Parts: sequence; structure tokens; C-alpha cells
Amino acid sequence: MRSSPKNNLSKSAVSAWRISTFIFMLFLFLIPLAMWMISYLGSGQMSLWVISAITFVLVVIAGLVIFFIPEIRWQRWSYQVDEHEIDLQSGILIITRTLVPVKRVQHVDTRQGPILRSYGLADVTISTAATTHRIPALEEETAEAVRDRISKFARLAKEDV
Amino acid sequence: MSKPERQHPVAAITKALDVLRGNFITILLILFIGGGDEDTFLLYWIVGVVVLLLVWGVLSWLRFTFELSEGELRIEHGVFVRKKLYLTSDRIQVIDISAGVIQRMFGLVTVEVKTAGSSSKEAKISALSREKAELLKSELRQAVNGEEEGVDPEDKEKREQKIYSLTTRDLLVTASTSGRMGVALSIVGAAFSQIDQFISDEEIYQFIETNMPQSTSASLVVMSIVSIVVISWLFSFITTLITYYDFSVDVRKNELLISRGLFERIQLTIPFNRIQAVQIKEGLMRQPFGYVTLVIESAGYGEKEGNSTVLFPLINKDKMHGFLEEVLPEYNYEMTQQETVPPKRALRRYLIRTLWWSLPIILIAWITIPYGVYAWILLPLGLLLGYQQYRDAGVCTEDDTLIISARQLSKKTAIVKRYRMQATQLKQNPFQKRMSLRDIIVHVASGNQGRSFSVRDLAIQDAGRYWQWLAMQHQTQPEVQDTPFDQPDAEISSED
Repeated sequence: MRSSPKNNLSKSAVSAWRISTFIFMLFLFLIPLAMWMISYLGSGQMSLWVISAITFVLVVIAGLVIFFIPEIRWQRWSYQVDEHEIDLQSGILIITRTLVPVKRVQHVDTRQGPILRSYGLADVTISTAATTHRIPALEEETAEAVRDRISKFARLAKEDV
Repeated sequence: MSKPERQHPVAAITKALDVLRGNFITILLILFIGGGDEDTFLLYWIVGVVVLLLVWGVLSWLRFTFELSEGELRIEHGVFVRKKLYLTSDRIQVIDISAGVIQRMFGLVTVEVKTAGSSSKEAKISALSREKAELLKSELRQAVNGEEEGVDPEDKEKREQKIYSLTTRDLLVTASTSGRMGVALSIVGAAFSQIDQFISDEEIYQFIETNMPQSTSASLVVMSIVSIVVISWLFSFITTLITYYDFSVDVRKNELLISRGLFERIQLTIPFNRIQAVQIKEGLMRQPFGYVTLVIESAGYGEKEGNSTVLFPLINKDKMHGFLEEVLPEYNYEMTQQETVPPKRALRRYLIRTLWWSLPIILIAWITIPYGVYAWILLPLGLLLGYQQYRDAGVCTEDDTLIISARQLSKKTAIVKRYRMQATQLKQNPFQKRMSLRDIIVHVASGNQGRSFSVRDLAIQDAGRYWQWLAMQHQTQPEVQDTPFDQPDAEISSED
């Protein structure tokens, strides 16, 4: 078994992920909000204490998730691209190691949402005839370099499928 | 055929039926909910729907034209949004000519043109006279590879010898052991649960009292279970019979031609160089009799069902290798003695995994259904299945071929060429980490999504070894005479 892939993601990925996780977590607070609305407007049986307790627990969970998960995710992510294959390792609990022969690659693209863009980051998406893989949150120049590298190697390997 | 043409008017009817089939459940819902109790009202609804469908069918027939020019098939269609579809003939992978019930009544055929990756729905000319269809096919084919398709008499003679068909006896065995029971069971079960919509409880009680006065509630439960099973078996028997009626595989120079079906004759063409993997399925009910089903995974094209194509529905395990040798010799492999299996310590994980689904089912049945306590039978059955899954998991390599087998319910052995792998993965969750185990997953192209084969809980070094072997594929590059896939050659330019 060879060693883990050697490149890491951009360190600012952690901050970017924290923001996107935070936004996602906001939706969780719709639960206590809905409960509060029901008890306030309708024939509420729920005591305010219960709702506050639930909110408190959610705040703690969300805080832990926002603080730890992006950090762990960053630590576990590594990738490597050479002329023959793309080697990816990722996962928070379940560690997945993926190997994609470069000549199987059908297309590569980079994409960025508003959060990633504000950090100057981009995802690289690699598609084969069967699967799609993503290297998340690379610095823009790195992402473009990786994309061009893969597409160059893929073109060099002439055969398809 | 150089000016735009319309299909045969029958296409209007088939289009209407297609829409009906596609939205069957929606329409049923509208009929039952919107219809209410009044019979006349329901009648209006039905008439309205039929008229609407026919109008839609006629409109789409009017708006559908196709033409063949400069080696390109040009289809224009769409009632409100006009769509133009241009298919260059060198991108066309497969041209299928088939005939449904309606088409057969009028002596017509359906032509489906398929390209890699794209959905084939659009490029379907649903009603055409057979002569025109053949003309279209030959013209498109000619544009692809001129002389190759020119019929060589010697070649033709050779072809005729290589047709494998399913005997009537085997067809009956296939139908009676088909794995469609599960699907059928759920349909029949659902139908049974809806029965009180049509017959009131009193009527049922009355029927039971007059016809079976000495029956107890226990025997009634048993009887209804038995009748559900029997009805679903009949259902699956009949549908399988219809699907695989007159099944034959015609081995040609560059492709396999599979035809089947009782009412709807379906013809599938699979070029050899599109084949990505072969699967040997040993169904629960067939395994004891030594029968297997052969399935092909092919790229960018396949049947709806999981995007794989049945190569042969039923074949004796002993004869299978002879058949493969003649039809697909490069896939004639079997698990060797060097097979790598999950280590002993993995058995525990295989057994525990079955509890994840069996325990909840048992508990729910126990609590909710009368006599649900008998659901505990599932526990030993599940554990037995887990043990079998452990026994049947394995992987080995020979030459440039990977043979990988695993069991969900039925045992599946996949034979995959190394140069066909799209991606390979190793997975490890924290429990597996503690026990030094890993899952290995290989992905091949199949249909539009691809298919994966996996073996769970291999020893960490073994999984790593196979992963490494798959990684070495660039070192042994066989000459693959592939047709380009999706990326036009024009894009392959040297830049550095």
C-alpha cells in the first residue's frame, strides 16, 4: 500500500467551509422557531423552557460541528495528480481512497460559489464515464493548474472509455 | 430522404399511449380523486382525458419531422418549444428497430437511434414502414463504415450458425424462478390493501361465513399470505414469460443482436467494443438448480433496468463457459484458487450487518401485525444470509481481468477488464479500522450512470494489493480499438 497522496487543500478552505456549514446550520434553528411560533400563535402546550433548552442544545451542536468538522475534513483531504492517475483521499468518519486513471477522464471543470469566490477558492470536478469526483476548495490558480494538468494528461492518453 | 418527412400517422396514437403510460398514476389519481362518486362525471373525465391525449398526439405528430442529409439525421420536434436534434452518423452507436403492439397491427416499426451518453428518448421515430426504416438504417450505417456492412455471403452464412435461443423448457424455468417476485409481491400486497375500496367489510365477512364456516382468524391470515404469494408468483411468471418470449442472441462480426418479447418485440444491438463488464447472476431460486443469468454492462447504452442488458436469461452453470467462449471469449473467466476472501474476523461484521435491516422489520411486525411474533423467523434467515454473503465474497485477478463476486440476495460475479475500470476506491469506517479491514469498490461505465462492484471487509493488505493492481493499468496497455466516446477527435490536439 503506497503512502497517502501528498498535496493538501488550501488552508483557507477551513474558513470557507465554516461559513457554508454555518449557513447550513441556520436551517436547523427553524425547528425551535417553528415550535415557538406554534406555541405563541396557536394553542401552545410547549413551555418556553423546553424550547430554550432545545435551542441551547442546537447551539452547542452547531458550534461543535462548525468548529471541528471543517478542520477534520481539511486534515483528512489530500490529493495527487500525475500523468497516469488521480489519487484522492477524503472522509471524516469513513475514509475513502479513490484512484482514477487519467485516461478515463472525460472532462474536468472548476467551479466556485459565492463563498469560495470571496476566499479566492475553487472546486475541481472530474468526470469519467461512470463517476464524478470533486477536489474541493483549492486556491484558484492551483485549481486551474490542476484542471489543465488533468486535461493535458487525459488528451495525451489517446484511447477512450 | 433528403427532405423533411413525417412519421406514419399511427405515431399520433402511439404518442398518446406513451403519454398515458408515462403519467398513468397521475391520471388514475385525477380520475379517482377528481371523479368523485357520480358515474357520469367520471365518464366526462375519461372522455376529456382521451380527447386531450389524442389532440396532443396529433399535434406532436404534425410537428415531428425527420430528414437525412449529408450523413446527418435531423429531427425537429416539439409542440410548443421547437427542438432540433442533429445526429451525425459517426456519433451514432446503435440503431434499433423494434415493433410494439400498435406498430405490429399496422405493419410498422419503431426506429431508435442511440448515441453514447445522451438520452435516447429524443431520437426515436415511433412509426415508420419497415422498408423506410431499413433504408434509413442502411444509409446511416453506410455513412459510418461503408464497406463493413456490405453483406458478404460467406459472412452471412457464418452468422446464421451462431444464433443462441432460449428453449421453451428453459423459458418456463426462467419464468417460474424469476426474481421479479419481490416487485410483484409489493404490487399485489398494495392491491390487497386497497381491496376494501371496492368490497365492504360486511361483504367479506359474509363471504367467509357462507363459504368457509369453520375457518379461524389464524387460518385466514395464513390463507391470505399464501394467496398473495401465489398471485405474485403468477404475475411474475407471466411478465417474465412475456419479456423473454422467443429470446435469441445473434452473434455477428462486430456486435451482438439480442431480440426478445411476446407482444413488444425488442431488438438490442450491442457492439462488442462497448461492452464494459459481464455479470453472472445466481438467483436465490435458480442457484439450487445450477442455473445462472448472464448480464452485460455496456457503455452509454442499455436497457432501463439498471442500464444493463440480459445476455442470456437462463443457462446451466456447466454450459455457461462454453457459451461465453463462443460469444465473448475475452470474458470467459472464473474464480480461481488464488481467490482472496474476507478474513475470519470479518464474519462478525457480515452477520451484524444483516441485523440492521432484520431487527427493525421484526420489531415493527411484532408490534403492529397479529401473529407478528412469527417474524422472528427472519432473524436466523438473515444471519444465514449474512454467513452466505461472507462465504460468497471474493476477488481474484487473472491476466488483465478482475473477477469479483459478492452476494446481496443473489450471488453476482462480475468479470471486468482492467482497462475498463473508470475508478477504484477503498473505504474504511472506524469499526473497520479497528479490525484492519477495508472495502474495495470498482466502477465501470454502464448506461448513463455507471455501475460499481464491491467486496466488503477485505483484509487491509489484500484490499491494498488489488487497488495497487488496478492502479498499474497504464503499464499494460492493450490495443483497444474503441470508438471515441463523447469527446470528438478534433479536440485531441497536441498543445505542449
